[in-house]
Amino acid sequence: MKFRSALLLFAVTAAPALANSLIPAQPVAGIARSSFAARPEGEWNRLSMRPGKRVETWTLDGPLLNSVRFFGGVLPGEPLLREADKKRAPLPKVQADMLITDVPALLENTYRAQQSVSRMEIEAQEPVRIGGAAAVRFAYRFVRHETDVERRGEAVGAIKGGKLYLVTFEAPALHFFEKDLPKFRQLVATLTF
Amino acid sequence: MAAMLAGKAVAAPLPSALPPYSAAYEPRTVDERGLWMQVDEAEKQLRASNLLIADPTLGAHVRRVLCRTVGEDRCGSVRLYLLELPGFNAAMMPNGAMLVHSGLLLRTRSEAELGAVLGHEFAHFELRHSLAGFARARSATDAIAWISVLGAASGANVGASVQLLAGAFFTFSRALEKQADLLGLQYLRASPYPAGAASEVWAHLLQEQAATALERKYKPNRGRAAGFFDSHPAPADRADYLRAAAGDDPGDAAVAGHRDGMAMVRLPLLMAQVKTGDFGGTAYLIDALAAQSGWTAELLFARAELYRQRGNPRDLATAAQLYADAIRAGPAPPEAHRGLGLALLRSGDAAGGRVALAEYLRLKPDAGDARLIASLVPEDKP
Amino acid sequence: MLRKLVAVAGVSLALASAVFAQEKTGTRPGFSLEAGSAIIVLVRPEISVGEQSTGGLFEPNADWTAQAREQIAAALQARQGALGNTVQPHDEGAGGDAGVAVQYARLFGSLAQSVMEYQFFPGNRLSTKKRRNSFDWSLGADIKKTFGNTGANYALFVYTHDEYGSAGRKMLQAAGLIASAFGVPVGVTSGVHHGYAGLVDLATGDLVWLNADLAMGGDVRTPEGASRRVQQLLEGFPGRSAPGAAGGVGR
Repeated sequence: MKFRSALLLFAVTAAPALANSLIPAQPVAGIARSSFAARPEGEWNRLSMRPGKRVETWTLDGPLLNSVRFFGGVLPGEPLLREADKKRAPLPKVQADMLITDVPALLENTYRAQQSVSRMEIEAQEPVRIGGAAAVRFAYRFVRHETDVERRGEAVGAIKGGKLYLVTFEAPALHFFEKDLPKFRQLVATLTF
Repeated sequence: MAAMLAGKAVAAPLPSALPPYSAAYEPRTVDERGLWMQVDEAEKQLRASNLLIADPTLGAHVRRVLCRTVGEDRCGSVRLYLLELPGFNAAMMPNGAMLVHSGLLLRTRSEAELGAVLGHEFAHFELRHSLAGFARARSATDAIAWISVLGAASGANVGASVQLLAGAFFTFSRALEKQADLLGLQYLRASPYPAGAASEVWAHLLQEQAATALERKYKPNRGRAAGFFDSHPAPADRADYLRAAAGDDPGDAAVAGHRDGMAMVRLPLLMAQVKTGDFGGTAYLIDALAAQSGWTAELLFARAELYRQRGNPRDLATAAQLYADAIRAGPAPPEAHRGLGLALLRSGDAAGGRVALAEYLRLKPDAGDARLIASLVPEDKP
Repeated sequence: MLRKLVAVAGVSLALASAVFAQEKTGTRPGFSLEAGSAIIVLVRPEISVGEQSTGGLFEPNADWTAQAREQIAAALQARQGALGNTVQPHDEGAGGDAGVAVQYARLFGSLAQSVMEYQFFPGNRLSTKKRRNSFDWSLGADIKKTFGNTGANYALFVYTHDEYGSAGRKMLQAAGLIASAFGVPVGVTSGVHHGYAGLVDLATGDLVWLNADLAMGGDVRTPEGASRRVQQLLEGFPGRSAPGAAGGVGR
């Protein structure tokens, strides 16, 4: 038994089943297993852990410090993130007839339904075009209960073919948000879906 | 005293005044000092928390209610911290720091109800409960750990004995909560507030939880016979023994006073509550506020937002109606026009929607979403 | 019989620690510190010392923590003094925004956690951080406004947490080992001793050095133990023998 348990440790550290992977500085398609594609000019890391069925997370220094999340083609009736308890703690769902103004509200209401944030405010919201489609770009800030650190976010979202496409960038308000925002905007400038 | 604890409606003679309170208390035992040191550090962090509500008017209101409830001698020992957190909660640390969640402020319907909860927390402090709880937790978890190891070694099924012990630990905590409830009642009796308010708080919470469950289509906890791992007595049981023990205590609950104290924060707190997506519970809270103050523009607007957020086709029609009512009742926030416009757009009334959105832009030209809303409204044609 | 069982358990533990290193140091490439040149502001160390009850609860002990705080501060002074550097404790009350200092301290915690999880220790590392000679972390140059106003050019952040296994816990551990030897996996750890120390260059906000240790020794409640703990925390502290341009993550 003792040697078996030691071998197990070897197995776990030597060949982890799901590892984080590298996103090199070149065109990448099929992000979040969806039609999202981008042309990053610098390297990123992709996290193996997915907080939702249609979500992919990229980071530079780890999600506590910077986090880009792609929500790829969320369908009507689906939530943005995985529900902990569908019956007693449901999350808001994408709706077939939602307006572009409902996109930032869906993100805020998702975080608030999870009871994980306070002081969330959506600040500027503007119409933009992403990959040729009508979209919304919005800025926001919030405080996560568990870390008590103030975070800021910027995101773009659109509804296309009845599905929701959303990309968010979040980082601590102190230093990190401003530092990495240009890299996020560069990604968005090349984004198609 | 025993009869009261058993929940019987016996009019036991309660002291008319509270015993003298001596504020000076220094932690003595090793455990106490360790715990105080930890909470002192925690309080340092709290002072720099991003969740602190700094509004001085609200802070003064809550402090006034606390002092009217427990008396000036006692409330001098308390440092109050209001936190922007949506749930119904308050807590007291053994070093005198009291935390109040904004969700509690939203749910209490009068100064007396707020005082009842704050008094309960202060009672834990006066009775030095934290340490007793900690000591008990330690010995219970010690025993659980031993049972697990020995059970594993012998291959026995340890489940039952672990549960029994866990039950003992949590029952003990329930007894402490009941002690705090009863001392809290004594504070209320000695205060200008009616002691009956304490029972009301729990009755309302049960009703809110039932409303949430009804809309989400699950069976609510009946609120009796606390779950095995609950550290508090069941809300319905609590409402009962608090009502019985309160007896006939006159007083002015100060409904208007609480409403005035909350005036500036009520709408923001209500909107945060709306956004949690708990349709049933939030509708219940809004209705309760309306029962006290009538349907103000503020409450109509909050109700409209609730319906628009849920967004079923009939909800959108209801929302549009409510926004219009809010605007008529006035003064409604400019966002009422925004909400009306968006509800109409989604309902298929493009023309009506654009008129309302244009009015929003006229009232609030520098809104954060002005350009986004403008993109939904076509250029004025000559 | 008992001795044989314990010996057997001891072997498996040794194997385990060989596979999973518990301590790591990172240095920013190109960074070197001339001894005697640094004025270091010590941000209030996060020190918690207590006992680990039989059931695994952390029982804080105020006396031990206070002692540890004193001893660690003294040992830091002595150690840096030997290098010719000055260490001043950060004055939390003095001018400006005490709130921002706390925000930076919290942010440093997130930074250190990220270094440990995503660069130092296997399990969840990021590809871009796994490269040789890579150690690129920063809190930004604005940090100078918060910690640099007394002339300091570096800020030192220290975190150490100790839970000494109580007698009950140690007995439980022995019982657990016995059970394990009989084929029933019952892992009972006793004692928790981890910490990190990090140095930030106030001119740039760059993390020039971080040392993290998940299994430290020394009894921090005594002067000798605290001295040893400081030694471990500051292991690899740049300056005594300049590491040169290589940098990166060592050990």
